[in-house]
Amino acid sequence: MSGSPKLVPTKYDALVVLIVLALAVALGARYWFAPAREAAEIIVSIGGVEAERLTFDDSEYDYTNNGYTVHVTVRAGSVRVDHADCPTQDCVRTGAISRPGQSIVCLPARIILTIEGAAAPDYDAIAG
Amino acid sequence: MKTKQLTTCAILAALALALSYVEGMFPLPVPLPGFKLGLANIVTLFALYTLGAPPALAILLVRVLLGAMFAGNASALIYSLLGGFCAMLVMIGLSRIHKLSVYGVSVGGAAAHNAGQVAAAMLTLGSATPAVYLPVLLIVAVFSGALTGFVCSLLLGRRLFRLWAK
Ligand SMILES: [Zn+2]
Repeated sequence: MSGSPKLVPTKYDALVVLIVLALAVALGARYWFAPAREAAEIIVSIGGVEAERLTFDDSEYDYTNNGYTVHVTVRAGSVRVDHADCPTQDCVRTGAISRPGQSIVCLPARIILTIEGAAAPDYDAIAG
Repeated sequence: MKTKQLTTCAILAALALALSYVEGMFPLPVPLPGFKLGLANIVTLFALYTLGAPPALAILLVRVLLGAMFAGNASALIYSLLGGFCAMLVMIGLSRIHKLSVYGVSVGGAAAHNAGQVAAAMLTLGSATPAVYLPVLLIVAVFSGALTGFVCSLLLGRRLFRLWAK
């Protein structure tokens, strides 16, 4: 489209790389440099809506949405999806999570488990 | 459209399809299904430089639609669609800046590709949660962009470029 393009990196390419990295750091700062907090609650969001808040006691739950069921096991300080009948199984493969801000996503069922810390910042703020 | 250009488009679309199949075997370090590294951007970038924006767009559409059909996965369609379009828009813009080489254009395209995928995940889930993975995906984009830029610089190397651009 623009004749013969440059095929060897220029110093302006480095500028593009710097901008991308700066963006990553700016967006990631709130997760990476956030002070360690204690995991307090598990937020269960179904179809984009917060459905339930769970505390970390030994218990198990089944959530069904979009025709798929995920089986959630909560233990002291951690939560995992034991099994699910979704086709992708990414939620099961994520394994157990335990730190505030971590989440397990089941895309087919549109179910998200997010760990909230004590006095956590609101995560919606990032999306504006 | 001349026959030669049409043939070139078909070959490139097939190549892009093969690439997106191959990259399906290398999942990204995020717990979201359907996220792609963006290797098929090699073809988008190559098509942009040799054929121009409209054929590159047509190749992208064919790749995305056929890819979703072969995978039998409609939810992956929106990822490759949004990711592919964002990458193409940014690369069209950056390729007009003649101080940039294919590497800079490719890295910018890879970053846009991953941002588009995150946006698609946010739309599908109706949640801001996938935004958590954007910083990591942007860092990944620097490396995947450099890789696709390198492959593209080889493809666009003089002899090949003359052969295809005629
Ligand atoms: Zn699942």
